[in-house]
Amino acid sequence: MIKVKKEFILKYGVPSLAVIIVAIQLCLVHFQDLSRWKGGGFGMYTEIHYFYNQIHVSGMSVDSLIKDDPSMRSTLGYLMLMPNDKNIKKAAELVLKTTHKDSVYLQIWKPIVNSENGLYKKVLANEIHLKKSEL
Amino acid sequence: MNYWSAIEIKLKDQIALASQLLLFMLGSYVFILAEEHKLWKILVLFFGLIAWLFFRNKTKHPIIWIVFFVLLTIDLFYSYFWVANHHFMLVFMVLSVILFSYHKQSDILLKNIQLLLVIVLLASVMQKITSKQFMSGDFYYHAINLGGLFKFFFTIFPESLEIAKSNSESLTTLKELNPNLTEHIVLKDVFPNLSFVSRVFAWLTVIFEFLVAVAILWKPKKIGTHIIFIILLFGILFTRLETGFVSLLAISGLYLCKNIKLKLLYVLIILGCITLIITKFGYH
Repeated sequence: MIKVKKEFILKYGVPSLAVIIVAIQLCLVHFQDLSRWKGGGFGMYTEIHYFYNQIHVSGMSVDSLIKDDPSMRSTLGYLMLMPNDKNIKKAAELVLKTTHKDSVYLQIWKPIVNSENGLYKKVLANEIHLKKSEL
Repeated sequence: MNYWSAIEIKLKDQIALASQLLLFMLGSYVFILAEEHKLWKILVLFFGLIAWLFFRNKTKHPIIWIVFFVLLTIDLFYSYFWVANHHFMLVFMVLSVILFSYHKQSDILLKNIQLLLVIVLLASVMQKITSKQFMSGDFYYHAINLGGLFKFFFTIFPESLEIAKSNSESLTTLKELNPNLTEHIVLKDVFPNLSFVSRVFAWLTVIFEFLVAVAILWKPKKIGTHIIFIILLFGILFTRLETGFVSLLAISGLYLCKNIKLKLLYVLIILGCITLIITKFGYH
C-alpha cells in the first residue's frame, strides 16, 4: 500500500505542482491584472506584450523618473506587468516621495488593436490621484 | 569507423541521452542568467563545484543536478514574475530528473515528462481560448504588422519590412505623446488580407496545439504523435526563434520517443537550438 502511494506521488507530484503554478497564474491574470506573458502560465504570445503599456504621470517625464533610480524602475516595471490598484498606489507613493510634490496623477494605458481596420489606440487600464496628505 | 552504428548506439538509451542534452541546455541557460542575483549564485556555484569535483563518485546524490536546481530556484525566488515560462518548465524537468536518480524507475520519469508536456500545451491552449485578443486575430495582426513574427518572410519581401518599420516608428511616436490627447493611429498591413490570415492562423494554432496535447496524452510513443509534435516545433521556430522553449519541448519529445530516426531528428533540433542560444542568435 505504501509502495503504491509512493509511486502515485512520484508519478503525479511534479505534474501536480505544474498545474498549481498554472492555476495561480490564471487567477492572477483574472483577478490581479497580471499579463499573460509571465508567471508560469504558458500564456506567452496570447495578448499584446506588456512592454507596449504606457505609464503617464501628469507633469512629469517617466524617462527622467526611472533614470538612475533602480527602485523606481522596478516599481514602474511591476505596474506595467500588473496594472492593478495595489501596484498603481505603490508607484504613486514612490513618485510622491521621490519628487516631493504635493500630489500626483498617475495613469496606465493599454494598447488595443482592431484587425478589421488596423485601428491602434490606447485605453485607460487604471489611474490614481494621490495627495501627500493621504500618505 | 561505422558512423551510423556509433549514432545508433548513442540513440539507443534515450533517457540517458535526453538527460545529457538537458544538462547542456541547463548549462547554457544558467550561464546566460548567471549575472543576475550573483551573490547567492557565487556561493552555490563555488560550493557546488567543490562538492562535484571531490564527491560526485562517492555519493548517491546527483550533485550537478541539485546545483542547477538551486540556481534556477534563486532566479525563481527573486524574479518569479520576470523569468520566462520555460524557466518553470526547466525547474519541473530538473526536479523530475533529480527524483529519477533516487527512484531509478524510468516509467515514472517518462510519466512525469509526458504529463508536463501535456500540461504545458493545454495551458497554452487555455490561455489562447480565454484571450479575446488572440482568438480575434488581433494579437497576430499587431505582432506581424510590427515585424515581431515571421522575420524570415521580411528578408524575402523588403517592401513588407519597410511597412513594418514605418508601423514601429508610428508606435514610437505615439508612445511619446500624452495618451489623454491622442486618439489613434492606423497600422498598415505588411501583407494583403492580414486581418483574415491572422484570424485563421490563430484558430489553426489553437486546434493544432490541442491535437498535439491529446496525442501525447493518449499515445505518447506513437510515431504519428511525434511527427505532429515535431511539425509544431518547426512551426514555433518559423514563427519566432524561441530556441530556449523549443529545445525543452524537443528534449521532452526525445524522452518519450522510441523511433530511432525521430530520435535523431529531435537531437538535431535540440543541438541546433542550443547552438543558437549560445551564439545568442535565438532566444534563451
